[in-house]
Amino acid sequence: MHKALLISALIAHAAHAAPEFAPIGSFLSRYCLACHTGAKPAAGYDVRKLTEASLNDQPNLWRRAFNRVSEHEMPPRNAAMPSLEARESFTAYVDHALRTKACADGISPARALSRRLNRSEYAASVRDLLNIHINAGAALPADGAGGEGFDNAAETLFLSPVHAEKYLEAARIALDYAMADPKSREVFLTATPSDKVTPADAARKILTDFLPRAFRRPIEKDEPTRYIALFNAALSRGESFDEAISYALQAVLISPNFLFRVEQPNTTGKQRQVPPFELVSRLSYFLWGSAPDAQLLRYAKEDRFADPNILAEEAIRLLRAERSREFAENFVEQWLATRELGRDIKPDAKMFPDYYESEVESGIRYEPILFVHEILSDNHSLLNLIDSDWTVMATRLQKYYNLPKTEGLRQQPRRVLLPPGSHRGGLLGMAGILAVSSVPTRTSPVLRGKWILESFLGTPPPPPAPNVPPLAKEDAARPTTVRERLTLHRQNPNCASCHAKIDPWGFALENYDSVGRWRDTDAGKPIDASGELPDGTKFNGPVELKKVLMDRRDVVIRNLTAKMLGYALGRSLTLEDHCAVDGIVAQVKKEYYSSYALIRGIVLSTPFRFQAPEPDSKPADIKPKEPSAK
Amino acid sequence: MSKFHAISRRTLLRGAGAALGLPWLEAMAAPAPSAGEKAIKRMAFLYMPNGTHPDFWTPEGVGRNFKLSKTLEPLAKFRDDLTIVTNTWNAGSKTGDGHYVKVSGFLTSTTITKTLGVDVNCNGVSVDQVAAQRTAGATPLASLELGTSPVTTGVDRNVGYTRVYGSHIAWAGPSRPLAREINPLYVYERLFRATRPVGEGIKRDTDLLDTVLGDANQLRGKLGKSDQLRMDEYLEIVRSLEERLKATNLPGRAAWKARYPVDSAPKPEPQPKDFADCTRLMMDMIALAFRTDTTRIATFMFGNEVTNQNFSFLPGISSGHHDISHHQSDAEKLTQYQLIGQWHIEQYAYLLSKLREIKEGETNVLDQSMILFGAGIRDGDKHDPHNLPIVVAGRAGGRLAGGHFSYAEDTPLSNLYVSMLDAFGTPVERFADSTGKLPGVLA
Repeated sequence: MHKALLISALIAHAAHAAPEFAPIGSFLSRYCLACHTGAKPAAGYDVRKLTEASLNDQPNLWRRAFNRVSEHEMPPRNAAMPSLEARESFTAYVDHALRTKACADGISPARALSRRLNRSEYAASVRDLLNIHINAGAALPADGAGGEGFDNAAETLFLSPVHAEKYLEAARIALDYAMADPKSREVFLTATPSDKVTPADAARKILTDFLPRAFRRPIEKDEPTRYIALFNAALSRGESFDEAISYALQAVLISPNFLFRVEQPNTTGKQRQVPPFELVSRLSYFLWGSAPDAQLLRYAKEDRFADPNILAEEAIRLLRAERSREFAENFVEQWLATRELGRDIKPDAKMFPDYYESEVESGIRYEPILFVHEILSDNHSLLNLIDSDWTVMATRLQKYYNLPKTEGLRQQPRRVLLPPGSHRGGLLGMAGILAVSSVPTRTSPVLRGKWILESFLGTPPPPPAPNVPPLAKEDAARPTTVRERLTLHRQNPNCASCHAKIDPWGFALENYDSVGRWRDTDAGKPIDASGELPDGTKFNGPVELKKVLMDRRDVVIRNLTAKMLGYALGRSLTLEDHCAVDGIVAQVKKEYYSSYALIRGIVLSTPFRFQAPEPDSKPADIKPKEPSAK
Repeated sequence: MSKFHAISRRTLLRGAGAALGLPWLEAMAAPAPSAGEKAIKRMAFLYMPNGTHPDFWTPEGVGRNFKLSKTLEPLAKFRDDLTIVTNTWNAGSKTGDGHYVKVSGFLTSTTITKTLGVDVNCNGVSVDQVAAQRTAGATPLASLELGTSPVTTGVDRNVGYTRVYGSHIAWAGPSRPLAREINPLYVYERLFRATRPVGEGIKRDTDLLDTVLGDANQLRGKLGKSDQLRMDEYLEIVRSLEERLKATNLPGRAAWKARYPVDSAPKPEPQPKDFADCTRLMMDMIALAFRTDTTRIATFMFGNEVTNQNFSFLPGISSGHHDISHHQSDAEKLTQYQLIGQWHIEQYAYLLSKLREIKEGETNVLDQSMILFGAGIRDGDKHDPHNLPIVVAGRAGGRLAGGHFSYAEDTPLSNLYVSMLDAFGTPVERFADSTGKLPGVLA
């Protein structure tokens, strides 16, 4: 009785609410309330608290419901199930309401966040500090990813005992290389002992010059002391000057001041700009994956970043420099999942020997990286990602694609115009993308569809239904083509609703085999590359597919922006960060999808430039300090 | 008293309580190792991703007279060394998603926190680390974590988990997944470094680590609360390395010596030829670690969960591992699924052979060990967490009875871990959701 009352109360409440909340109320009462109510609601979660008002003042409560429903965890499998449409209109409403609320309050940034350098940042930082050309991070364990899917997310940069050993060893090896190379030595050995300079003075000079570069900030006066002590101890053990200074520098490279990008907590009690030295590290690790250079450090010292124009100009300078290749590689390979090529995704070597020719394999791997790098560093339109009349490749990949030769093109990949009818252009014409969304021996329209939804549009499909009943034995006349098999699969209503949204995207790419080569037949039958989305959108083949994606360009650009902001911040995005994304996207559109507009938008955004206060800090007492009595 | 007598007093007393008959007599009677060498126990956990063909795993018959299934056939040579348990599971993994909860929870017997990253938490400690933490200092490395491919990058937005969870089975604490070494040469070099003789180099390193610990302590004070936790991790790993290095000069540690020089074993090539080669070499490295006594505890992941590893190097395999595991009862795929499972067992058998070849006094390393092989799901097609495929080889110096044991449905797998910790000499009252020891497993 109690329960029935509540349900009617909730429905009554819904009836009085703004019209669009009513279906949400009935969704909750129909699918959730039976368990999540009463004195002991299931999982301690009381659905009665989910009201239109609590959308405003208890967003976390709603977030929980949103997550469970959108990930198909609730309602549980033995309960009444909403249709996919009902589920999606529920989550769309909640998501929209929560975002609107978060954005209306103005965008506030996150707190200061320290994190260790990840494996590639470590290698690049050591490389730049010592001017060496080996990968000092090669022996470090790979880092997992968090947040928006990148391995620079602070939250998943764990440390294991093995790291301590590796840091000790990696620093030793890097310094051995550097000490043996005159070109390296002149970068960091800024003094040499002589008749006039004692070894101790030379060591002091070297360390005083090295520490601010290594720690990416000015040092305090006594900071070199500990390292000088190590130098002295080594010298008194009878080690040479070179050995002793190398020993002291090894300690610098293991110090947490080097290994961690430190951000000091904001104890001012209010939002503040990221302090200049921390800001230049944010900037250089975003666009170079490495430590700030001398100019950035000088600008920080001169406090020039109070002027946002300087920050924007510096961002573009970094982007145009060769080192931004590092950023392109790390960002693109994780955003597009192509890092898995050669790792988890290995096309079958017996079926596809061409793929494994070393110039082909590396050409395929680097095409998306170099393409995105070219777009970003040369201020091309971001819409080239969807479709373009050029790509970046060398002769061998050109031949693999069966394209006519370009005069002057050799083994170095560069920007090449595509002839009409090339079947290439945009990310979806790239073998790397097509291979990473295939299984080793054949194409998979499901995986390709999933790739488009997840990586390109940022709207990942829900997980597959568990325990799908097998195809009935009498159906066992084995279908030959992938499409036939999937058609069979979709006869199962449990599967059909989602696959109707996933598979058509993949079907449109069926003219590409599992290693990205063009084909006209599959298993002896002509390729059928047609697809129709549940909303009635039809397309046939990659050209029409790209047109459909072009119509949805703002979804593509929004996803790219969110991914890149997540990468730039090195953490999961919050709802409020998503408000910042909306602002950046609007600006990018206004500037005709310019890539520089995107980069500028990110570095000038509130989450990038500002820090929230620590929760327990209060605004500083404004009373001036009493002059201390002497 | 060393922690590594064949059977500690405490174990003996505990064992007596739960015993049928006089189990400790057999352990006490374990063959005496030759002069100066105590019999030591080792423990390893080998994890197979994506489950296995459910119909070809379970042996026929229980007790000591069981008939090996087709998948387990490669273990025929080790029949008497096997403990096969049927119907165990991790209750905590029947939630969340098809894969991730079943991996990170495999050795912790917990439910992991669902997250894309911000609050990674396995809500426990893995069984290998329980043993490692209790025996730390006995060997140069407390444990060894190995795999064949780097942690899978990215987050799985379909199901809402970071892929960190699919790439870790060893957890030193709730938020401490242990990084794995995936290159056999690096493992070799690490074993070599860990066993290098005492000398001036050690003092040089510890002075250096002292200096950076000073930096870290100073820095810690300036950080916000959550960042301090990160610095604590740093302090902990650097301190433990320093202690380990210093310990090589302590009289207690002098008792430890390598039982075999690392560099007498062949050094792996810089890059393994392929996945199968890498797997073999990792088996060699586990054997080498145990032979040299650099560590007594290891975990190994054949692959990260959801791997689509190409197994076409096996005749008749035509797709990726994960794809095949979703066989949908297709006869052809099921055949391939079984073959892949059997290949994993062959690699396991290879390790067991290597361990048996290493003689220690009257006995051999396999006899003194417990080498577990298992998966976090049974039938990959259904992501079935019930009745996990689990087998342990080696009798822990006679502490394990051996045989095929079939329990009531959904018996906690943690009960096996409690039994194993007992046999290892690091007994616990409870582990995660355990309800006791698995009856019959201990001799």
